[in-house]
Amino acid sequence: MTDWKTLAALRCSDIPPDAVARIAPSLDALEKNFRPLAATLTPTDEIAVTFSNLQERAE
Amino acid sequence: MNIEQTARRLRAREISAVELARESLKTIQAEQPRLNAFITITEETALEQARCADEDFAKGIDRGPLQGIPYALKDLFDTAGIRTTGGTKIFADRVPTADCAVYEKLRGAGAVLMGKTGLHELAYGITNNNPHFGPVRNPHDPSRIPGGSSGGSGAAVAAGMVAFALGSDTGGSIRIPAAYCGCTGHKPTYGIVSRYGCMALGNNLDHMGPLTVTPRDAALVMDAIAGYDSRDDSSIATPAGDFWRDSFSLRGVRAGIPENFFTERLAPEVAAAFQAALDRAKSAGAELKPIRVPDPEALNVIGRVILMSEVSALMEPYAHRRDEFGPDVIALIDQGRMLPATDYINAQRLRRRWQRDWAKVWKDIDILLTPTAPIVAPKIGQTTVLLGEQEEDARLASTRLVRSINVLGLPALSVPLPVSGLPIGLQIIGPPFADNLILSAGGCLA
Repeated sequence: MTDWKTLAALRCSDIPPDAVARIAPSLDALEKNFRPLAATLTPTDEIAVTFSNLQERAE
Repeated sequence: MNIEQTARRLRAREISAVELARESLKTIQAEQPRLNAFITITEETALEQARCADEDFAKGIDRGPLQGIPYALKDLFDTAGIRTTGGTKIFADRVPTADCAVYEKLRGAGAVLMGKTGLHELAYGITNNNPHFGPVRNPHDPSRIPGGSSGGSGAAVAAGMVAFALGSDTGGSIRIPAAYCGCTGHKPTYGIVSRYGCMALGNNLDHMGPLTVTPRDAALVMDAIAGYDSRDDSSIATPAGDFWRDSFSLRGVRAGIPENFFTERLAPEVAAAFQAALDRAKSAGAELKPIRVPDPEALNVIGRVILMSEVSALMEPYAHRRDEFGPDVIALIDQGRMLPATDYINAQRLRRRWQRDWAKVWKDIDILLTPTAPIVAPKIGQTTVLLGEQEEDARLASTRLVRSINVLGLPALSVPLPVSGLPIGLQIIGPPFADNLILSAGGCLA
């Protein structure tokens, strides 16, 4: 489980501890759902930061 | 107020554009205290634009079906000289110096701007319970939310204040208010309506589109606002106009009915209205095809990572002004700031994979039918809903069936179903660039 309090202190020190405590359950839930998905990625999975439906049309 | 009929009345000289604008202003002033649909009412601009529309009619200049038609813009579409707040205290006094692309096009089409509608702060939420400008209320029951984030636009159309309104949809923000307020809402294919001059929420997920009374009206607005714009990097050239297929029939259309996810955990009245819509589609000749779609729940997770990262990056310069944001919005900004860059990159890689998987879906079906939301509009302040024996966050329930479609960039339409109680929407999803197909299908099913 990620230690959000420590992480916030290092990365976003302006977020007050009580605010971190409030968002921690949501972040935990997101981590629980996202980590297994990210674990399935392989080197052939390309990044799509600049999203375009043109790629879709070409396929 | 319906665009198609009103355009005919204007051309038959049964009413002038100025008279129409005055009628619209009267309705806005009567309904505003009850619904709070507008942040700014642009009376002077409206009457001036209406006069111009009448002068053009008198000279025989016809700019198309929107000429003289009253409409509203969500208060994140930039309008030169008219404040554009994004529904946030941070930008409460912001007056743009240039028009957004959509407003440029609507001015060119002779439409008449009545005002700027209320939204969830920064368009980052679905309740429209805005701490800075007050809650927008649902015309069918003012104790309920209109849905959001384009809630003011949905309320303004449903209450007959304007003939159409523009909204933005990053995770359902056009379709949810359309479903909860009982009007039509169209989220176009990503890239076909310019985002230039619109306050961004999530650059990779934002779509601009219309809320209208009918799908036919939405097609008329799309004819006016779609098109390539070099100022928007995501803009795509599409064939000009023609967002409506005359004499369209559902006969032979392969309508996918999801066996997974989209038909799970629905309120009983939503399940019944959805089934009735499927029966009507079948009677109209559509071929209903049960189908399993690539995991939309995973797409919702991917979409949340992308959205939270993008919003927090955009709002980073303002994040230190914590007390000026509503509590729900600053909590989301905080969450996005805690995510590592690698998560954002990986979410974009996963998105590409899901996009490829979904492309295969369209080999077997032409459109996909789902409910727009699994519930009817919650009460203002209601935080959870009970679905069967399971309690669910009202905000997550509202976005559950729509968010994944933004991640895919697909066109999607919400049309109101004929129900006797609170409004319920039917979502029609199509492959990329099939906007005219889903709009025409919507015309058969609304």
